[in-house]
Amino acid sequence: MKVTQELFKGIYSSNPVFRLMLGLCPTLAVTSSVNNAIGMGGAATFVLISSNFVVSLIRKFVPSKIRIPVYITVIATFVTIVDLIMAGFFPDLHKSLGIFIPLIVVNCIILGRAEAFASKNNVFFSLIDGLGMGIGFTLALITISTFREILGNGTWLGMPVFGSSFKPALLMILNPGAFFTIGFIIAFLNWLDRKTSVSS
Amino acid sequence: MKDIPKFALTLLIVTIIASGSLAWVNKITKPKIFAIQSRDLNNGLLNVLPAAKNGVIVPVKSPSDPDNILYYEGFADKDKTKLIGYAYLVPASGYSSIIRTLVGIDTVGNIISIQILSQQETPGLGTKCQEIRSGESKPWFQHQFAGKMATNLAVDKDGGDIVSLTGATITSRAITNAIADSSKSILGLINK
Repeated sequence: MKVTQELFKGIYSSNPVFRLMLGLCPTLAVTSSVNNAIGMGGAATFVLISSNFVVSLIRKFVPSKIRIPVYITVIATFVTIVDLIMAGFFPDLHKSLGIFIPLIVVNCIILGRAEAFASKNNVFFSLIDGLGMGIGFTLALITISTFREILGNGTWLGMPVFGSSFKPALLMILNPGAFFTIGFIIAFLNWLDRKTSVSS
Repeated sequence: MKDIPKFALTLLIVTIIASGSLAWVNKITKPKIFAIQSRDLNNGLLNVLPAAKNGVIVPVKSPSDPDNILYYEGFADKDKTKLIGYAYLVPASGYSSIIRTLVGIDTVGNIISIQILSQQETPGLGTKCQEIRSGESKPWFQHQFAGKMATNLAVDKDGGDIVSLTGATITSRAITNAIADSSKSILGLINK
């Protein structure tokens, strides 16, 4: 097991959104603007690394039959602690990220990685896995939101992209736009995979 | 079956540690969060009653319950002789959260300014109630309330003149109707 391999699998070959199809619900919700995508990605990455750390640390003491409730408790506790500390010590950050924090508890990437990776691997590799998956999730959110914000709002990260004559396709920042964008990106990645496997 | 006591014990230990650490974090952060909230409230009061900058803003409490602040009176001077208006907190049930809006009105009930203090609406849709468009200095949705009669408000879809947020009619309507309803009862209290 190599460090770089564990790190990069989350970014491309096992990207949580495009490959594992995890965390689609918050993905739909927050990708209407690039700004939100960065906020959600950052907050989720932080919780992902932390929960992978704790789950890996306690993996030998938790009987496998009750692991899911234990992991849920760990994740929910951690998210609440992050929420409280942010609200108390970093109020400005909390104002911009605060709305995403409750969404992280129900983000199945966190539980998915706890179950699929952190419960079976040591603390170091669990941290790497959390970091890679977090970066992969963030990049996926930024990619989707780039398409949606430009087409649906005419801006990127709040900056106008087109002249004032551009009439944004509102559908793209509403929920159907997220399904369209994700569908097209996954189709593109599958096409890319098939092309490379045929040629090699 | 014989595993059940072991499972119960494990879950008990995990939840005790979880609630213990939450209680500890809560104890540390509670005074900080409270201080930030009261600072935000004070800043908000000055924003919605800017003419009280050199004066005072005093809370008016319920006669039956001294912990319950009904509204605030804003004065342009420290001696409380020049009353310039009132401010009050309006809670609205939005799409996914309680939206807390601070409303400042003049003495006859025209809105001076409103400020949304906290909300947890849908990111990208309802959260646009706090959006500041590029090139502007104030959130456009809140700014359009200024100068309107506080008791007579409705969103465009209900025949009023408040432009609702795209894709977030529920949020827009909740804020608008809550301000109109609260203003009616607060003005009733003031004019009593």
